[in-house]
Amino acid sequence: MTGWKRFAEREIRIGWGFAAPGMLLLAIVMGFPLLYACLLSVSSYTLMKPAILPIVGVDNFATMMANERFWNATWLTVKYSVVTVAVQFVVGLGIALMLNRVVRTKPIYFAILTIPMAMSPVSVALIWRMLLQPNLGIINHLMETIGLPRFDWLGSPNLALWTMAFIDVWQQMSFVILILAAGLASLPREPYEAAEVDGARPLQQFWFLTLPMLRPVAAITVIIQLINEFRTYDLPYVLTKGGPGTATEVLSFFAYRQAFLGLSINEGAAAAFVLLVIVLAMTVVFFAMLEKRAKG
Amino acid sequence: MTLKKVLYAAAGIGALMAASPANADEIVLRALMEDVPETQIIEAMLPDFEKETGIKVEFEKIGYGDMHDKLVSQLVSPQSYYNLLEVDFLWAGEFPAAGWLADLKPFVEKSNYDLSPFIPSTLDLLGRTEDSLQILPMYNYSMGLLYRKDLLEDPKLKEAFKAATGKELAVPTTLADYVEISKFMKANADVAGAAMQGQRGDPNSMEFSNYLFSAGGSYLGDGKKVTLNSPEGKVAIDLYVDNIKNGAQQGALSATLDDTLRLMCSGKAFSMVTYWWMLPQVDNAEKCPEVAGKVALSVMPGGHGESGGWGWGIPKNVTPEEQEAAWKFIQWVQSRDVSVARALQGHAPVRADVYTDAKVLEKYPYYKTAQDVVATGKSFPIFAYSAQYEDVLGTSLSQAGGGEVTTDAALEAAHKGLEELLAK
Repeated sequence: MTGWKRFAEREIRIGWGFAAPGMLLLAIVMGFPLLYACLLSVSSYTLMKPAILPIVGVDNFATMMANERFWNATWLTVKYSVVTVAVQFVVGLGIALMLNRVVRTKPIYFAILTIPMAMSPVSVALIWRMLLQPNLGIINHLMETIGLPRFDWLGSPNLALWTMAFIDVWQQMSFVILILAAGLASLPREPYEAAEVDGARPLQQFWFLTLPMLRPVAAITVIIQLINEFRTYDLPYVLTKGGPGTATEVLSFFAYRQAFLGLSINEGAAAAFVLLVIVLAMTVVFFAMLEKRAKG
Repeated sequence: MTLKKVLYAAAGIGALMAASPANADEIVLRALMEDVPETQIIEAMLPDFEKETGIKVEFEKIGYGDMHDKLVSQLVSPQSYYNLLEVDFLWAGEFPAAGWLADLKPFVEKSNYDLSPFIPSTLDLLGRTEDSLQILPMYNYSMGLLYRKDLLEDPKLKEAFKAATGKELAVPTTLADYVEISKFMKANADVAGAAMQGQRGDPNSMEFSNYLFSAGGSYLGDGKKVTLNSPEGKVAIDLYVDNIKNGAQQGALSATLDDTLRLMCSGKAFSMVTYWWMLPQVDNAEKCPEVAGKVALSVMPGGHGESGGWGWGIPKNVTPEEQEAAWKFIQWVQSRDVSVARALQGHAPVRADVYTDAKVLEKYPYYKTAQDVVATGKSFPIFAYSAQYEDVLGTSLSQAGGGEVTTDAALEAAHKGLEELLAK
């Protein structure tokens, strides 16, 4: 063995040594709960009979798949997540582009933008619930003042999900704006200067320079937000309890319902795992697409 | 001091502590309580109990929605942090079925505790059987009808109602009459006919139960056979949905108890089907000046409303000393004297002798009607999956109220859902 090879092996061992405590900690705080949840999802564990054994295999998943409400919840979750993230991204990018041109008062805008983000979703939901109250809420009152009809924001099966989506966008968009604004601020100036010399119009600069250069930041933002939206639980819990009917029963609320109302922790864990698999699959596909485009 | 000496000293102190016998005086009772006036009333009296017995009691107050999950996680653990339990009647099937509660019967027998003053329906509601007593009633939340006397007595409205229906405008005696008056008020009195709590789950299933019992329907018949899908059940759901659509306030399908209370308090509703002890909340000149002095309580039209209540329980997974201390507290807090003192501050009693107490009646004359509301109340099905059934029934009602399904389909789904959960 050469001296270089021995040195490299020792370096690797030392590297593992440094990484080991962190990896152990991760295994304890993330790996163990994940494995335990996985075990629960294939077990017969309910709150009435709290025992892991017998292992029932994929029975809990089969029960889920046979439940009409599971599919309704999955479809609602996909619809809700895609729409909220799309709106957050499009509007957020627009605002970030505008903020990018602001120089002197930027810190004030950023300070204001962090307010909704710093609030807990439960507080946000409670505040909006009061504002949207059909009879005594300020929003319907203002609408009536200007001659518009009153709306049953959270009580109408056709409106409730989108009202919830609007509240979500209101709270989450600040995060998107801040990340995109940071991404925009870090873009190099030289390509723009060259484009200006070549006579490129602002829209062309945006399309051919800003968007491609911003792609990695945008991708990360979209992924983080998609994961967040797929896990939405607080808003339906506080605003509608999944109703009216099943109009706002998203997947994480469905999992909670199975686990704690149905007392079937095993079925709740199975539903949560389906949610995890969907989010993981989306993340992988999204990054694969990005990589392919970057190479192409 | 060397490390060795420190270790010896620590070991000595540890040994002394371990050798000390468990003393009842040192026991601290800890209970997870719903943050409502009843809890605050008792909390203010806790120093009296501590003075009398030397046992300290600590209440951790949270909202109802978070209680069940927090309690369950303690009850399934090897040793519960809470050694005194406040148990909702909706969990009175689940907790004993899971084997989480200590039987109170031996405690009752050992201490010769007299159960006869308790209104029988309050004991039955919490699952009392001949062989066991898992939960002792704490307070009840039976439901009745709160209505605006001033609107019923308004000459113009009386005349208009007579012209429209040929009937006198008076306190309704049947469910159909009630819904008819509710719709009339919405159309003619510039108020919602009924402030309804139609949010899916506990709010709408509790509310609907009143309609069901008023119409003469039931959830379960003899031998626990499901009887919900009956002609009476159909009348009840039709009238419920009719009132949601044509009598209630806008937004009834997402409304909770708090929303209905605010609406009634603001003078924008004629009536609400609610817990009888909401009357003093609404009939309060400071909090609700628009309607104070104008509101009255009656038993649900049809003679029966939904009965509900909280009780005291003792977890199995605590020490015998803690269980003894918890029983001591339960006896004290449900004694006649303490119950009367609580009632004078607005407590909803479970003992008949409190409703007939002269001091209580002098302060709250409507307690006479309240006693009728409690005595005639019928119960939501109590079994291990009651909380889930609330969600199943609530979803069907909400879908029918929103026009997503017919009342026939909703009733059938609610009926089938109950059968499935009973068989689970």
